[in-house]
Amino acid sequence: MNLAFGDVRYHRLKFFSSTLGVALLIMVVVTIGGIIRGVILDSSTLIESTGADLWVVQTNGAHPEVGTFGPFVEISRLPESIYHAIAAIPGVADASPIVTAWEHVPQMPRPTWLMKFMYINALLNTRTMVKPRWMAMPHAQRFEVVGYELGKIGGPPVIVAGRGIEASHYEIVADVKTGFHVGQRVRLGNFDYTVVGLTRNMVGFTADPVIYMSLRDAQHFLFQTDPNLLRSERAVARQQAADLAATSPRLVPALTAHDEARLANTLYVNAIAVKLRPDANAAAVAAHIHSWEHLAVYTAAQEVNLQLMGSNRLILFQLSLFRDILVLIAGIVIGIIIYTFTLDKVHEIAILKLLGARGGVVYRMILQEALFMGIVGTLVGSALELLSEPYFPRRVVATSGDIVQMLILMSVVAAGASILAVHRAVRVDPRSVLSTG
Amino acid sequence: MSMTQQSGNAVLSAESEAGAFAIRAERLVKVYGAGLTRVEALKGIDLVVRPGDFFAIMGPSGSGKTTLLTILGLVTEPTAGGLEVGGREIYGGRMPDLARIRREETGFIFQAPNLIPFLTAKENVLLPLSLAGVRGKRAQDRVAELLTYLEVAERAELYPNQLSGGEQQRVAIARALANTPRIILADEPTASLDTDRALAVMRLLRRISRENGTAVLVVTHDHRLIGEVDQVIEMEDGRIVLKESKGGGDAAQQANPGGSDS
Repeated sequence: MNLAFGDVRYHRLKFFSSTLGVALLIMVVVTIGGIIRGVILDSSTLIESTGADLWVVQTNGAHPEVGTFGPFVEISRLPESIYHAIAAIPGVADASPIVTAWEHVPQMPRPTWLMKFMYINALLNTRTMVKPRWMAMPHAQRFEVVGYELGKIGGPPVIVAGRGIEASHYEIVADVKTGFHVGQRVRLGNFDYTVVGLTRNMVGFTADPVIYMSLRDAQHFLFQTDPNLLRSERAVARQQAADLAATSPRLVPALTAHDEARLANTLYVNAIAVKLRPDANAAAVAAHIHSWEHLAVYTAAQEVNLQLMGSNRLILFQLSLFRDILVLIAGIVIGIIIYTFTLDKVHEIAILKLLGARGGVVYRMILQEALFMGIVGTLVGSALELLSEPYFPRRVVATSGDIVQMLILMSVVAAGASILAVHRAVRVDPRSVLSTG
Repeated sequence: MSMTQQSGNAVLSAESEAGAFAIRAERLVKVYGAGLTRVEALKGIDLVVRPGDFFAIMGPSGSGKTTLLTILGLVTEPTAGGLEVGGREIYGGRMPDLARIRREETGFIFQAPNLIPFLTAKENVLLPLSLAGVRGKRAQDRVAELLTYLEVAERAELYPNQLSGGEQQRVAIARALANTPRIILADEPTASLDTDRALAVMRLLRRISRENGTAVLVVTHDHRLIGEVDQVIEMEDGRIVLKESKGGGDAAQQANPGGSDS
């Protein structure tokens, strides 16, 4: 006979309402875990999805032995042509020029009721923290542009609607989070682009959705000189040519051609993504590139680390601490509930002892009830979290592994939380059942 | 403990009829507190209970009835004296498993039925069997047998709060009988019942005593019930002052001045 089962069955309303409370608490714990995993995925998705083993970036000008932290968390600019040289290094299977930058498009997805709710909720929560118009609804959406050489690594890994980019110009693949749809025309900079495909879960480390385009389009979009600046520069160049014409007229055509090429040049990239052959030694290839003394090389893990520990470090630490506090609170709550339930059962525990029940029978009942609350609370809380995941504004991902880990953790917490109740049960005197005479 | 053990060894070694007694207590002393708060609840109680005996223990509040009952029920350890339950010496040497002896040898009936509220009537009766490791069909048959015997079989699946007071008390008696104990210790079992129901419970206990050879000790204040028992033990100030046989034709015995009565 299972006493805990009997108690839960009889007091089911009390148990299930308490367990639901615990479940909601655990839902928050699992959600925080899911947000942490989301931050990790946001920090690694772009790196991982390219499949590159090495990332080649610009060195720091003042200290060439130290690389910039490009291309995602710091500016890095390289001549595009460098990828040909890297591709020729023994052990390199592919070297792909990558252009990336944050940009805005003056076009927000149509706000859903959920977004409106979250906006109003944010307004209410921050009403004492902000000045007027600080929290005005934005009219431009930020996204991360990734330009890649078609046919090389660095493009969208998965197409969930439409197709991949096939034309060299004016086609883009956007993450579904942009709110774009296949066939939509989107103005980016001076040109209109057609959304030919959609990808999913492709966001930068700031959780902004990614837009993929061809390398040339990305270079034009991101590096093209401002027309006003171009006019000004050309005026300066003409003046220089005029001055030169007075002294060395034969050099003028060459100077003019050089200035035009310089002003119109957009052939920069932010990084070279390098895929190695299976038998290649990454350290040897990196050392080879280092030996040129004007490039820095990071492994994929180092590149993720730059984003995770460089940019998202504090939010990760904060969320992890918050999660620990919530687990502690969940343990305390379970402990208090089980202790209260045990206080309610002091008389029954005295009867059990009088009937010859060993201490283990009583402790097992308390422990099983605590475990019931911890395990059922975790399962229900996890289920609620999984159901609510799509409605969070940022990526929240709880895996079955997280839930199993949470089950083990909450079982330990519940067992620990029952100690107080067991301690109370130990002190129950069976004579309390009897009359005094 | 050591005092109890020494006394127990000394006083019980004289008898050699182990097993013939349901309970044998000699010179039981129980002292609560110390110094100014010292209270001597029992002052040398001698008692022999044989299988099938049906005793009533009476006396005013504070006379030591419940203390005696808790010592006989192995819930309280005496300060001194010897105790044998079901032929097993309790405090005479290595301390036996008291919970086990309590489970196997004694059944408790209380003033209130004290059923476990979250178990059905059937499960309440099953509980002592389960604690004793009796399971399966054997346990189920025993529960059915007891509930039928006590005429509450039809209420087996109900929770205590769905039963009447009398039904609850009968389920409590069934629970006390579950492990076929040699001794039933009843603490004011009729206090919350009207006269008819109180008499019915006492007759039921007498029937159990006669039919099963179970020794029954009932602590009660209710003089109306004296006619139902074989012997009345009157207690006062921690001593047995009167031990009177009822219906058996034995002469009434006056307690000795020291409170000891063998």
